[in-house]
Amino acid sequence: MLLNVIQTIAPDNYVAFTFFIGYIAMLAASVFFFVERNSVSDKWKMSLLVSGLITGIAAVHYYYMRDYNLVTGDSPTFFRYVDWILTVPLMCVEFYLLTRLAGATKSLLWKLIFASTWMLVCGYIGEAFNPGGGGATSHSVTWGVLSTLGYLYILHSVWLGEVAKLSEASGSDVVKKGVRALGWFVLVGWAIYPIGYMCMDGGWLSGIMSPEKIDVWYNLADAINKIGFGLVVYSIAVSESNKETVKS
Amino acid sequence: MNKLVFIYIIFCYLLASIFTLHNTISLENQLTFCLSLIVLFGIPHGAIDNVLSLSESNLSKNKFYFLYLLSMVLYVVLWFITPIFSFIFFLFLSSYHFGESQLSNYNIKNIFSKFTYLVWGIALMSTLFFYNSNELITLFNNFNDTSSFNLIFEYYLLDTLFYISNASLIFIFVYLKIKKSINSQIFNSEFYQIVLLHITFFLFPVIISFTLYFVFLHSIKVLIQEYNYLEKRLNGFNLMKFVKLLVPFTLLSLIFFSLFIITSNYFKINISLLLFSIIGISVITLPHSISMTNFYNNLNK
Repeated sequence: MLLNVIQTIAPDNYVAFTFFIGYIAMLAASVFFFVERNSVSDKWKMSLLVSGLITGIAAVHYYYMRDYNLVTGDSPTFFRYVDWILTVPLMCVEFYLLTRLAGATKSLLWKLIFASTWMLVCGYIGEAFNPGGGGATSHSVTWGVLSTLGYLYILHSVWLGEVAKLSEASGSDVVKKGVRALGWFVLVGWAIYPIGYMCMDGGWLSGIMSPEKIDVWYNLADAINKIGFGLVVYSIAVSESNKETVKS
Repeated sequence: MNKLVFIYIIFCYLLASIFTLHNTISLENQLTFCLSLIVLFGIPHGAIDNVLSLSESNLSKNKFYFLYLLSMVLYVVLWFITPIFSFIFFLFLSSYHFGESQLSNYNIKNIFSKFTYLVWGIALMSTLFFYNSNELITLFNNFNDTSSFNLIFEYYLLDTLFYISNASLIFIFVYLKIKKSINSQIFNSEFYQIVLLHITFFLFPVIISFTLYFVFLHSIKVLIQEYNYLEKRLNGFNLMKFVKLLVPFTLLSLIFFSLFIITSNYFKINISLLLFSIIGISVITLPHSISMTNFYNNLNK
């Protein structure tokens, strides 16, 4: 059954193609992060473990989403949100792990996890449970605004707030640059999600992109954001580990 | 991303939500929203040109005010002689001023720094006009005395400027990055702001688009620069004293504008409110731009 489905992927079915590529890329990234975990010093092992978990969880979901999309032809909103609700808080954990040495507290960790979960739960309610039907706008706007508050909190924290200040206080150029690079993922990479949200039925930008195109963009953005995020963390971990080796 | 860009993004999301709910915002509401912001931040940012210019200049107060007002009067005269040229001059003058303000923080020491300011501003203005050309053509056609401004939308003039200025801007930034005149952080930040402005100008009506840029990325930024500059030079300077400095000429501008509206109703002055606004803003912009160029020269000394 599965083989039949895979064999019938049309060459112009970019949604299925990007699900497939996304799945393979995330899986490969996971293997990479888990293997490379042994090449960094102890204090960076947790960061690479989390990077591997992020792409690993996404790989499993992409595997399901690819099949779901091929069989039903629908956008796998449910699986997407399950994926995001597990992986996005983990990305926030990365910020905590990077700035822990500069004094990040558990409260920062929980605030970021809460903000990311809030953002996604509100987004899911806005997108999946629309009592007025797909085109009812007030419901999606209300939940969209609530969801955006979570996003803006994270954005503020990373660029101007606690995370930014901690990275400055870390005294490490590598950590500073790394947090700034991750900040760009949040600012630019994550911006695709509210844009996609506004493109759905009843949204302000509905009609600009078909659901298929939105899926393609989501898939590309997910791959870049998750793997890219992990690679930045990996690069910080390697640089800092090398510094420690030189010192000792 | 700095605080002002963050606030700019918040407003973009907020407006996007309002547009989603209501599909559109009436012109009256747009004007109310935009004029409130411009009165609060836009006008005050140019209200202490006298203080800034006189702080490090050998000019006497009287001579400064004379020259300031003279440039305004001459520009008004130019408007009566050749409105089209005056309008185009205003667009280029604003472009340079916006570009200078945008890039002033970086202190680009380069032979073509002034050219870069102009290109940045032309890219900004042409992008605003390019994405909103239909709206602007309708607006200019609403009044007899502004319909001739639609000349800028003819002969692919605007399209050419839009593509050339944006391409040149990217080329200049890449060049400055390669030459290490700017670092990666500035390069990324500038590139991001250009993209953000394109998205905003594409999505929102022209008045809202311009106000968002003018207030958050220009006026408040300049106000902060002015405050920091004066704080360093004046003992015991604080926010209250800064506001007191801003109030007189801000009020004067508002009184002058209100007087025109009242008198135009009574005496049926033969000029549209749109043209009056453009002339008014342009004659203020000329001496303000010159003052700000001096200010930035002092700032970067």
